[in-house]
Amino acid sequence: MRQTPSQTAGPFLHIGMMPDTAPLALARPPGEAITLRGVILDADSAPVTDALIEVWHPESGWARGATDGQGGWRLAVTRPASAPFVSLWIIARGINTPLSTRLYFPDADWQDDPAMALIPPPRRRTLVALRGADGAYRLDIHLGGEAETVFFDI
Amino acid sequence: MTPLDRTRHPPALTPGYFSSVTRAPREGLIALDPGEAGMTGPVFGSQAIGPLDDDLIRNAALPGEQAIGPRILVHGRVLDESGRGVPGALLEIWQANAGGRYRHARDGYPAPLDPNFSGFGRVLTGEDGGYRFDTVMPGAYPFPNGPNAWRPAHIHFSVFGLAFAQRLVTQMYFEGDPMIARCPIVATLPTVQAVEALTARYDPARDRPMDARAYRFDIVLRGRLATPMEP
Ligand SMILES: [Fe+2]
Repeated sequence: MRQTPSQTAGPFLHIGMMPDTAPLALARPPGEAITLRGVILDADSAPVTDALIEVWHPESGWARGATDGQGGWRLAVTRPASAPFVSLWIIARGINTPLSTRLYFPDADWQDDPAMALIPPPRRRTLVALRGADGAYRLDIHLGGEAETVFFDI
Repeated sequence: MTPLDRTRHPPALTPGYFSSVTRAPREGLIALDPGEAGMTGPVFGSQAIGPLDDDLIRNAALPGEQAIGPRILVHGRVLDESGRGVPGALLEIWQANAGGRYRHARDGYPAPLDPNFSGFGRVLTGEDGGYRFDTVMPGAYPFPNGPNAWRPAHIHFSVFGLAFAQRLVTQMYFEGDPMIARCPIVATLPTVQAVEALTARYDPARDRPMDARAYRFDIVLRGRLATPMEP
């Protein structure tokens, strides 16, 4: 059987995926609680205000969030003990098939991760978060343009 | 995990769908083995499902009232590529009301809201991968994409299978709708077979007589790679 094709989530994904009444949630696994945040920008550096982002790693648990009026997102998870990254999954109006990327922790051995070896060196930094004064790990995601984020085919 | 079949899914850049132009990465994707993070996934059990989540006709209605519109039920199976049912898959559903209006702050289409309809639903597949929900037929609506663009009647689906690499977001269309062939978002699909795969079939054998018409929509997720034969 052939895979069911993807279609964009459109601009109203919040109705099904971020309902106020019963948000979908999973308990956070035990471990170091961390906050991930950033903005999502399009190829013209305009904020993407109708995106949804999900984070997943077997040790971090799962969380999702929608971008706000400035394209900002924020997610609370557990820091994986044995991996230098978590996986990010992004959908929005105009994204026909979901985009997969990773957030690497700047204070982990991200240089040695096998996936990094597949990325041209100048682009590797697009996946490495910065640690803000608030302790959150910040990664801005560029869907296009000069600073385009590396996306994976997984 | 079998790879994402790029001949089946729309490419990122589809200029006929204007919103894709500034949101499509131009660099090639980096091919990656899904690894541990891709082969596992969040598991949502029945506690994620409210008692009326599979009944969009009633789940946002005032006591004793129901949503307005042609009454339908949508059913099918969630399968992997080898045809095995995927039990415990979570489907998140959202749609416009019968007039084509979403209950959303950013939807300004003048068709009225239905006070008894939110357009939200959720359902978990059973042991054989089967699912069913009740709703009203959504209306077509216009969207900004050139002088005159309309979406065919459709229901949005977000699917969690058993692995993160099985995550799917798509839309279901209705057999016989002349708007399907005119829609710039449908036109992002690479083949007519892909459009057919998103088109639910009228299924009179599953109608609820004097109540609701049935549509069938099966969903095929990426599968596990064939395991080698035992020696
Ligand atoms: Fe829609």
